[in-house]
Amino acid sequence: MFAYRNSAYEEDPDYPDYSGSQNHTQRYLKSPGPLNNSDEPSTRSNPYPAESRTSPDYLGSLAEPDYPGCQSNPDYPGTTSHPYSAGTDYPKPLAEPEYIGSRRNPYQPGSSGEPDYSQFQQNPDFPGSKGSGNYTGSRINPDYLDSLGEPDYPGAQENLNSSGPRASSNHPGSRRNPEHASPRVKAYTDSLGEPDYPGAESQSNHPHFFGEPDYLGAEDHRNSPNFWGEPDYPGAENGHDYGSSEDPEMARQMLSRTSSVQPSFHHEGVGPLGILGREDVDYPESIEMKSVGMANPYPGAPGNGYVNPAYVGDEGPGPAYGDPPLSGHDWLSSPQGQKLIESLITMTSRDRIKAIRNQPRTMEEKRNLRKMVDKEKSKKSRRILELNCCAQCLNSISLAYRRFKNNLSELLNSISLWQKTLKVIGGKFGTSVLSYFNFLRWLLKFNIFSFIVTFSFIIIPQLTVMEKNHLQFTGLEFLTGAGYFTNTVMYYGFYTNSTIQHDNSGASYNMQLAYIFTIGGCLVVCFFSLLFSMARYFRNNFINPHIYSRGIAKLIFCWDFTVTHESAVKLKQKNLSTEIRENLSEILQENVKLTFNQQFIRFSAHVAAWVVSSGVAITCCAAVYYLAENNLQFLANHSNPGAVLLLPFVVSCINLVVPRFYSMFRLVERYEMPRHEVYTLLIRNIFLKISIIGILCYYWLNTVALNSEECWETLIGQEIYRLLLMDFVFSLADSLLGEFLRRIIGMRLITSLGLQEFDIARNVLELIYAQTLVWIGTFFCPLLPFIQMITLFIMFYVKNISLMMNFQPPSKAWRASQMMTFFIFLLFFPSFTGVLCTLAITIWRLKPSADCGPFRGLSFFIESIYRWINTLNQTPSYLWVVWIYQNLIGSVHFFFILTLIVLIITYLYWQITEGRKIMIRLLHEQIINEGKDKMFLIDKLIKLQGMEKRANPTLFTLERRDLEQWGPQRVRQHDAPRDLRFRQSFQEDNPKA
Amino acid sequence: MSLLYHMTSPSVLSRILARSISLRQSALFSKNKDCTFFTRKEIMRLFYRYQDLAPQLVPLDYTSCPDVKVPYELIGSMPELKDNPFRQRIAQVFSEDGDGHMTLDNFLDMFSVMSEMAPRDLKAYYAFKIYDFNNDDYICAWDLEQTVTKLTRGELSTEEVSLICEKVLDEADGDHDGRLSLEDFQNMILRAPDFLSTFHIRI
Repeated sequence: MFAYRNSAYEEDPDYPDYSGSQNHTQRYLKSPGPLNNSDEPSTRSNPYPAESRTSPDYLGSLAEPDYPGCQSNPDYPGTTSHPYSAGTDYPKPLAEPEYIGSRRNPYQPGSSGEPDYSQFQQNPDFPGSKGSGNYTGSRINPDYLDSLGEPDYPGAQENLNSSGPRASSNHPGSRRNPEHASPRVKAYTDSLGEPDYPGAESQSNHPHFFGEPDYLGAEDHRNSPNFWGEPDYPGAENGHDYGSSEDPEMARQMLSRTSSVQPSFHHEGVGPLGILGREDVDYPESIEMKSVGMANPYPGAPGNGYVNPAYVGDEGPGPAYGDPPLSGHDWLSSPQGQKLIESLITMTSRDRIKAIRNQPRTMEEKRNLRKMVDKEKSKKSRRILELNCCAQCLNSISLAYRRFKNNLSELLNSISLWQKTLKVIGGKFGTSVLSYFNFLRWLLKFNIFSFIVTFSFIIIPQLTVMEKNHLQFTGLEFLTGAGYFTNTVMYYGFYTNSTIQHDNSGASYNMQLAYIFTIGGCLVVCFFSLLFSMARYFRNNFINPHIYSRGIAKLIFCWDFTVTHESAVKLKQKNLSTEIRENLSEILQENVKLTFNQQFIRFSAHVAAWVVSSGVAITCCAAVYYLAENNLQFLANHSNPGAVLLLPFVVSCINLVVPRFYSMFRLVERYEMPRHEVYTLLIRNIFLKISIIGILCYYWLNTVALNSEECWETLIGQEIYRLLLMDFVFSLADSLLGEFLRRIIGMRLITSLGLQEFDIARNVLELIYAQTLVWIGTFFCPLLPFIQMITLFIMFYVKNISLMMNFQPPSKAWRASQMMTFFIFLLFFPSFTGVLCTLAITIWRLKPSADCGPFRGLSFFIESIYRWINTLNQTPSYLWVVWIYQNLIGSVHFFFILTLIVLIITYLYWQITEGRKIMIRLLHEQIINEGKDKMFLIDKLIKLQGMEKRANPTLFTLERRDLEQWGPQRVRQHDAPRDLRFRQSFQEDNPKA
Repeated sequence: MSLLYHMTSPSVLSRILARSISLRQSALFSKNKDCTFFTRKEIMRLFYRYQDLAPQLVPLDYTSCPDVKVPYELIGSMPELKDNPFRQRIAQVFSEDGDGHMTLDNFLDMFSVMSEMAPRDLKAYYAFKIYDFNNDDYICAWDLEQTVTKLTRGELSTEEVSLICEKVLDEADGDHDGRLSLEDFQNMILRAPDFLSTFHIRI
């Protein structure tokens, strides 16, 4: 950055002085009067900078709280512009007489010579000197920053914007700069780096500065960087150079300096004697400085050396500050940065962190940004909060809460399961296959949660009052779920209906209520987490669903960065190129219309496929229904305990065979887009599976529950257990045997088939099917989530192994995330809502079995709640629960009104969405129009430029010079694309480029 | 401590040292926490990954904030990036000077942006930078050609590549200036829901 700016200086035609020392001296000579020169050095000789940097007292004084107070005074800028007042006001709080003295000294020579001029000259110095103090102080003292309206570090000036202003005339800006920010250094630079300072321009600009008490002006900021190019180092370097020559002067000085790091500065400028010697001494100095600046292509180094201490002293971690990448600060103090900071301050801490995090900046910049915002914030809040103890208290509570939440989320993240395995899968098979495993993991978490809840609220209390199990354990129970398991905590029938109370004095635990509330709570949590994750997915993936394009652009820009495996990358690249080719040919042939005949054939194929698939599904359902109807008689006739496995076996067979049959339809149907094919397949499969489950539920609730004499809830629980287990066994066998066989066939026998691809849709549907069963079964068999947990765990590894052995990565780009959304939607809509309906019917309509389970003896399950409310009615302290129940939960009117309100809100939102759609369309059109405008204007500009060039060649040369200025920057930016991050704004400033 | 470190073989002792330092370190890194999408633990893990890239270059003790850069050759050889066709661009975009040499901050930055938690706009911004090969803040036809060549390993013919570029510009160039600006790119990314999950490097 430094280097870059520096060179810009050198090449900058606007800065003839820089090009050579000779030039520079000439300028001096030409400049209005020798006094100018004398003044300039005086600026340099300003004691403050040296002091501030070196003397600890000074810093200390700056750090004093009072001090900022006077600084924050709005007049402050004004005071800076008047050296006198500044001289008096400022040093006072410092209580350092030397300062005052030193201040005056430079002033006097100025006044004696050319009053106005010197004033102007010194102005920058003064503020500079003051600024130097402030500058160091500013880090300690946030108030100061405020008062300036520009919190920032000197570095800030180095902005990307700098480039912009450079193109324009920088001089005025430069002069203003010192006053703006980081004045200390700037003062130096001005005087040192710009000997032509005294030029007329400077004067004209000063008034500007005066008129601008705030530093907020964007231009000022932008200009500043120029100076920044060589801010400190000349000073630092010069210190050495001068030291010897100035020594005598120093001796003459009345001022007592504690430090003499850069004594030369003071002496020259301060003492009246300095004026005498000025002409001799200063010229060479300034020249020397220049040469130093130019000779050193990376002045950053010396500059840092110089700047660093101050920074480091102020803020611990500081290295970032002194480093060349000061650009970060520049950005912060740029108008955009300021705006950002202002907006950040008003946010809550959480939003702020989020906002900072989302900034496309480097870490350092973000860190600085946060630090600054915190500083501003704390300073602001200090004023308010100091009085307000209550707010402070709240603040600390919120802080503690945040910390706790952070820790909790860290803890949760640390349990992230299978991180490595998922990484490997993603690396080899890409995101689409990964989504299946993610879904599996998500379901696993769900089940773990359900298990924890049921275990702690139902199972543990039951275990404490467990009776002895007299049934024999044979081992077949693992398959059938009956026998020994019937009398365990696994099934509904085993639970007691009594109130558990271990000592007479201890708290009692009503099992009935615990059972119904735990299951209910579990379902409610599942409901909301499903809803929220579904909403999140929808928000992310269907932001703008109505503008789908065929999207070759998406193919190109959506390279899967998760894929890391070498062969996978190669395969993916190959697949991508074929896909792009297909896409291109499709685009080329887009206009080719199918003949009526072809269309008819295609249409009839679809119809036939749908008819056949629905027919198959209906047949399957009918088969399951009759089998189930006859199942009870069949069981009565067969004493073999394995007979109960017939129904689950048939169901699992259907689930295994029919989806494969469905997927064969694609040979007939020939969908144009793979997405359509996947959706059709999904719809058919989900229709099949859900209707089978529906038939089974009907059978359970209608036949088993009404006819059975025994504990029918336990029977249903066993059925579900068997279904689940059979399904698990089948998919295990399918993974280990079926897929393996398929590989053997594909590789050895029919090589044209090749390796198969992982069928995500079918596998996900299997998961959904199993999860549906688990949700239904949780009521009848509270341990079911635990069983599902184990099966999912095993499935993960089995699928993983099978995937690695038998499959190849998918050849088509797959809309994985939209599919994921769709899966979760399926899990929610037919599956979870179906479960809710089933359970609602069970609880409100069915009579619990008379001699088992927690609800024995009641006429409905829900009656337990009614009784509880009645008992609560007797205890006056719980009347509010009763009130809530009667007026909200139990009241039809409440629900009626609620539904009405929800419907109204939904309708309103729908209308808003419609409106937004129109708005989006309009905005899109506007973008297109603006683009056209831009092109038109650019054309016109080019034409005008051409004409101007012909008419006025000198103007053109000027213009070219401007462009040349740009040239080196560009080159440099290629060398140093760190700037790249800022280029956007850079471009905005200069559309010409 | 550094003396001790230099004296012994890195593997065993470094781990022990790492433990001892980790407390201080984690306090140090925790200030990075709010600037990235990582937890403290993940930052530590990333730090060790970084340290492992160049054990002799990167000190284990980062409390003094040494100014260390790991050269691109080592960054590019990470298994996460090794086979990525855009690895060089990624390293360039996130490195400070655009040369691919990365400091720890750059390194954290990179993985933070590529993490799961980073929002779409942030990802899109950096993706744009990555695809903008000539750093001119626009994705022009030349950039697109580069991208396509990298993506397809040069399997497509020149005509096909230029046809693709034409189509892409056709599709995504909102203001019809013949190149994609950041806004165009973001707009297009909005329509590609998979982007969020594919612009992601697991660590």
